Formats: sequence, C-alpha cells, structure tokens
Amino acid sequence: MSINSATTSRSKQPSAPIEFDRTWFSELEERTAKNGPWDDFTLFALNYEAEQSQVVSTFDELQCLTQLNNLSPLPHQIETATKVLHEMRGRAILADEVGLGKTIEAGLILKEYLVRGLARKVLILVPASLVLQWVRELNQKFGIAAVAQKKEYTWHYDVVVASMDTAKRDPHKDLLLQNEYDMLIIDEAHKLKNKKTTNYQFITQLRKKYCLLLTATPIQNDLSELYNLITLLKPGQLGGVSDFAANFIVDKRLPKNEDQLQSELSKVMIRNRRSDGNIGFTKRFVKNVPLTLSDEEMALYNGVTAFVKDRYNELNGDMSSMLSLVTLQREVCSSRDAVFLTLINLSKKMPEDSPIHAKIWELVNMIRQIKANTKAEKALELIEEMNDKVIIFTEYRQTQDYLLNFFRSKNMVAVPYRGGMNRGKKDWMMDLFRNRAQVMIATEAGGEGINLQFCHNMINFDLPWNPMRVEQRIGRVHRLGQMNDVKIYNLSTSGTIEEHILNLLHEKINLFELVIGQLDVILERMEKQDSLEKRLYKMMLESKSDEDIRANVESIGKSFQDIAKTVADNEPFIQDAPQEEAQ
Amino acid sequence: MVMSAKQVQQFVLRYLDATNCHLIEKSPGHVIVKLSPQADRELTNRPYYWGFVDRTGTEPETMKFCFIFDKDKMPPLPPDPPPGPGYIAHRLLKEEVTYGSRRLDQFFQAAKAGGSYVNLFELPNAEQKSSNFSTPYEQWLGVNMKIEFACDMKREEIHALGISMVTGDIIEQFCDNMLTRKMSPRLPANVHVLRSALTLTKARNQLESYIEKKIRTYDDEWAVEAKIRFDDEIARIDSYYEGLLKTEDDEIKKSVEEQYANRKQELTWQYEPRIRISVMNCGFFHLRSVAKQ
Repeated sequence: MSINSATTSRSKQPSAPIEFDRTWFSELEERTAKNGPWDDFTLFALNYEAEQSQVVSTFDELQCLTQLNNLSPLPHQIETATKVLHEMRGRAILADEVGLGKTIEAGLILKEYLVRGLARKVLILVPASLVLQWVRELNQKFGIAAVAQKKEYTWHYDVVVASMDTAKRDPHKDLLLQNEYDMLIIDEAHKLKNKKTTNYQFITQLRKKYCLLLTATPIQNDLSELYNLITLLKPGQLGGVSDFAANFIVDKRLPKNEDQLQSELSKVMIRNRRSDGNIGFTKRFVKNVPLTLSDEEMALYNGVTAFVKDRYNELNGDMSSMLSLVTLQREVCSSRDAVFLTLINLSKKMPEDSPIHAKIWELVNMIRQIKANTKAEKALELIEEMNDKVIIFTEYRQTQDYLLNFFRSKNMVAVPYRGGMNRGKKDWMMDLFRNRAQVMIATEAGGEGINLQFCHNMINFDLPWNPMRVEQRIGRVHRLGQMNDVKIYNLSTSGTIEEHILNLLHEKINLFELVIGQLDVILERMEKQDSLEKRLYKMMLESKSDEDIRANVESIGKSFQDIAKTVADNEPFIQDAPQEEAQ
Repeated sequence: MVMSAKQVQQFVLRYLDATNCHLIEKSPGHVIVKLSPQADRELTNRPYYWGFVDRTGTEPETMKFCFIFDKDKMPPLPPDPPPGPGYIAHRLLKEEVTYGSRRLDQFFQAAKAGGSYVNLFELPNAEQKSSNFSTPYEQWLGVNMKIEFACDMKREEIHALGISMVTGDIIEQFCDNMLTRKMSPRLPANVHVLRSALTLTKARNQLESYIEKKIRTYDDEWAVEAKIRFDDEIARIDSYYEGLLKTEDDEIKKSVEEQYANRKQELTWQYEPRIRISVMNCGFFHLRSVAKQ
C-alpha cells in the first residue's frame, strides 16, 4: 500500500510540518465507483468508539498503566519509567541494584511507547539463558506479543527477543544492521564495557531510536567502562574521550569533579537502591542453629575426614580428583544417604585389588551404625514450632529424598523442587506448596520461576560454599512483594567444617544480614586467580588443624572486606544526583 | 478515555450481535458464544483453516468461546471434560476480556476491519412517511480524523468532521450526531438525493484546509521545545565526532563518518516535530435535507 501524502506549509516559519495520509481517499473513491462494498453501521460506530478509548490525549500522562491487568508496578518503578520517558527521552541506563525490577521498568517504558504508537519494531538482546524468561514476562505481565528468535524469519516479527551471541553473528548480523529499530533493549549491558569487542561495535552500528541498557553493575573495574556504555546511548554526554579523562578521572577507579560527573550521569542513568527507603523491603532475621552430632555421626564424620585427607595426600594434591573428595566431606555434614552414594560410586571407580575398598567398607559400616539424623530431627522440630510455611534448601539430591521420606513418616506434608523437573512439574510443585504443603524441599535456588513471596521462613539444611548461590537462595524469599519479615535458619554441626564455612559467610562476609548489592563484583575481583569456592577446598584439604582453618578463614574474610570497601568507595559517584531545582 | 469493564462488555456484545454470532449463555459477568463465520475469521487467527474452507467449499465449523467480563458476576461454569480423546474439541475456551487485554485489542481490530467505509440513509420519520411527496436527502461526507502531534513523545486528537456535498458546510462532532440517528444501508422509498455541488476531491481538500487552519491556531510550544532538544542533541554529537574526525587514518575516518551520519539520522527520527493526519473511518450519510432548495 502506498502512502499518498501531501505536505503543506504555511507562509511563516512552521514549527512542525503537517502530513496528510490519504490512503483512505483512494479506497473511498474506489468503493464509490463500484458502489460498494459498504461496511456495517454498528461496526463503524464500534471502530470509532475503540479509537476514542485509545486516543492519547496528553504528552506526559502515563498511558500504559491502565492496560496492565497482571501487574501492579511499584512506585519506584513507575517513577523510573516516567523519568526515562520525559527527561531522558527514551535513552537511558537502568542500573537498579539486583532484585528491584529493572525488567519491569523496561517493560513499562516499552509498553508506553507501543501504546502511543511511537515504537513498533523492537529488538531485545539478552543472555541466551534469559531469552524465554523475557518473552514470558513481556507476554504475561505486559501483554506485549514478544517472540523468541529461533529461525531467520523470526526477525520479521515486531518485538523480538534474542541472545546477543546470535544477533551479532552472520547471517543475522547483516539483517539486523539493515533494519531500523524503534527501540533497542539490552539486558546485562555491563558486558558491553569494552569498546574493542565485536558486541560493542555491533551495537554501535545498529540503528535505533530509543535505547535502554540494563545493568546492576555499571562499573566493575574502571571508569572508562561507564564512559563506553554512555557513548553507546549518547555520544559526547561526557565529552570526548580525552575530555573525559582530563575532567573526570584521577586514577582509573578514582573520579574527580564528582558533583559535575554525578549531574551528567543523572541525565542518562537511574540507579535505585534497596537503601533508598521508598522501596519496601521487609526485615531479615538470621538464626544459626548449632547442633551436636551423635557419637555415631561424629565417628562417621571423623572417619570420612581422615579418609579424605589420606586420599588427598596419596594423590599429591591432584586437583581433578579433589572435587569428589570435597563433595564427600561436605555431604557428611548433610546426610548419611548423600555420603553413601558418593562412596559407592567412588568404590566402583577403583581397581578391584585396591586397598581403598576396605576403607570404604569400613565407612559404610559406620553409616550402618547411624540410627537417626540429628539435623533432620532438629529441622522437624523447628518446622513444628513455627507452624508456618517454610522452604528447606539442601545441596544434595539424596538428602532431599531422605528428608521427603523422613517428613512423610512424621506426617509432615512436604513437596520437592529440583532443577531437573520440567516447567510444568515445577509449576505444579509450586502450586502444591502454595495451597497444600507446609514444606518445600529444594535443591535449586537459581533459574527462573521460583517466587516465594508467600513464604517467609527458610532453612539452610546445608550451605553452598559459593556466596552467590547463598544469595540466590535468600533472594527467592526476600524479594519485592514479600510482606513479612524473613527468617533464615542455618543448621550447623559443631566441630565440623560446616561451622567454619558458616563463620566465614555469616560473620566475615555478613552475607545473611546485609544486602550485598555488588556481591558479584566483589567476588569477580577477589577471584582473579582462583574462585572462592576453590580456595576453600584447598584450605580444607591442606589444613593441618582446626587452628589452621580458622586462620585461613580469617584471611579470606579480611580480603573480602577490603575489596568490598573499595567497591563501596566507587559507589558515590553513581548515586542519584542532587535534585534539580524546582521549575 | 479508558473503557470501564461495563463498556468493554457492551462493546463485545454489540460486536457479537452485529456479526450474527449465536449466544448460548449470558450472565452479567460472561457470555458463551458460537462465533459467526465473519467473527471467526477476525478473532480466531486461523487463516489456514479459512483458506481450506474457501477452497473446498466445506461447511465451516466455527469456534465456541466463553468471554468473561467479571468473574464475580457469573454463575459457575460446567467443569471441563476429563483429559483424553476429544478433550481439545470439547473443552470450553475461556478468556477474560478486560481493557488492555490482547483479546479486546482483537475485537478493536475486527471492528476496524468491518467498520471503515459506510454508505447510509437516514430512516424516514413519521412526517415523511405520511407525506405524498418525495423527501429530498442531502449527501454528507463524514470523516473521522486522527491527528498525531509527535516528536519524541506524542499526543493525539480525534476530529469527526462532516461536510455537506451540497452546500459545502462543515460540521464538527458529525459522527457523534450520526450515532444518535437511525440509519439504513438502503435508500428508503419516496426519497430523492439532491445533486452534489462538490466533487469528492474538492470535499477532501476543504476538510483538509479546515483542519489545517484549526491546527495552526494551536499553541506549538511542544514543537518549539522539541526543536530545542534536537538542537542540543545535535550540538552534543557534533562536538564528539568533530574530535574523532581529526584522525589521519582514512579507514577510521570513513567508519566514523558513517557512525556520525547514523547518529544524526537517529536524532532526527527521534525528535523532529511532525503532525500527521490520518483517517480512521469515513463514509456517506444521506440525511433529510435542511438545505435551502
């Protein structure tokens, strides 16, 4: 269909040209000439009424809110969307701390432009693992017909979600570069910090009208990363490269003229924090529950510890077989069922004449001696006491099965949740937990779909040694929308490695009480050589004594605190700028 | 003006009625309906099925839906059949229709598809019926216009204009007036249509110049401000790229130039103030003449 248009102008300088779309006229002429076909009067009236209901009568009032049936955005999210639309003119970095709903903010802005007819063709680039989650959220929460990119033809849809890795590759790349996008949204945009990468160059080449970059960590190492991000949005906002260096940088991590930098940043970036006060997070209470193992359990623990140390020494510190040993050591703090399976698997791998078999059987005999699981009994006691919904996290599948059986035998209704379940089963378990069961036992905290706002008690039956995984667990329950204070119980067996790990995560890193908004950044820096988890493994395997472990934990904790401090010092200049003067 | 739940319901029911759908059950909160072929084509998104029906001349099997407007105001629905053979065919498709829902949007689209161009005649009144003389009817062209004032943001207005093809008189809110009258697609008996003095093109031109004149009286501060923002943005990228263009390397220079051009074009696209006037629907309305003979 060709647009038959005419542009007219008045004699004095026109502030905006008027364009008449006359497609209607040729159609009307044609129907007049043929005397039909003519449409129904009622539908004509309905069409007119529909248009009237959709007319956008003001420039600035948010229209999209009346159209969201499955979502009630929070005040800070609406405020952010409004600011991006009216002050930043649709080009912004959304840099809220994790868990404050950057996706919701982006969705609101997108929906508003769609409703106003200012955007139609939209490209959303996210990490591959998040593509489906984005598609689902846009469809369910915003009624936006977003499509996941699968085949080449999918690019022709109006709103497409794809992974950056796909988009920047041939043949997709050329296709996208030929297009013009009314809106481009990039999630996890801190991956665009380096100008020299193909990702960065690809985004620079893309033609877009509005653009949102989402990242929880706009600066990780270096101020120039922030400069690069802003250049994608608004080249020149902070001057040329050399101006920026001269005006704003002392050292790559140390800014100067902070006030001025802040005020420039506030024109392109919004960062909401949990500590801002207007954001409704409830309190968090943490209780460590120390336990004393029964003699039989302690015997098994000591037996396994000795076995692990011996094997490690025999292997001369060979890292590859280290993992199963560490697992063994950690499992023994969780349940005998978990240890048992790992022992059996270990035994199967050994040559038949190996002396190890005897040692393993010795341990298996110790397992047989154990009649009760002290931790499980304590957990049951806690659950009965709180008489409220609770989620139990464990690292091990065998422990999960054991607990399910144990609770069932005590007439306590519990449902499982694990990574291997398909989507439908996960949803079903979640429904059962919401409506029928008091307890959910989960082996997985990450991934999508677990929203447990209706539950505010959490028991860590055992602890991951990776702080990020602990934070994920907490994040499932303690999130926006949680109306109650959250209670976290950590079960810890005295005189075992668990005690030390809990000491590190709780006392030294303060993981449970503080919200460490930038945990990933701190860990990334801390883990330049080795991951924290790996350092803990080594520490455990090589320590000669309890004192040794204590000293080690102390030093790891100290280095975490130091890095956390430098990261926090970098924060001020990405805080909100002083309020602009009232108009 | 957002529609209330009640208005949404009225809208859907009027659509279903106008397209001859068969209502099976109705309460203040819901309706169960077997769609007519026309409605099915517009609402069920089954182009392949309808292509098949059109090619083979098969008797079409239209779909049944339960549209829910207010869950609290409806009786409980019969349970779905147990899963198994025939489950898909026999279960009742239930859908909530609220303002902003995808389904309502589809009804809007359907109303557009079937309600764009009309040719109507006012039904005779009592006086007219009892008269022995033929009543003169005057042809009006009714045009519902949408005006979009756009820069990086947008505002819209709807103008329902009508122009008499006999006298050239222009009336505002013409469509609203038409909706209060009884109209028929057929020329009533004992009626004659007066000769038009205007050609269609002339009528269109008069409507366009009428609306343009009106718009020019508006405050154009929004456009002036958008222009200021645009100039600021251009100045910002000018300063950035001018520095980069000082390079000696021709290859780099070329890619920078290309980038620069892209950025400039994006800014025009984003900020340039423009006014676009389109027509949502239109048609001829033949009314008892009030024109002087």
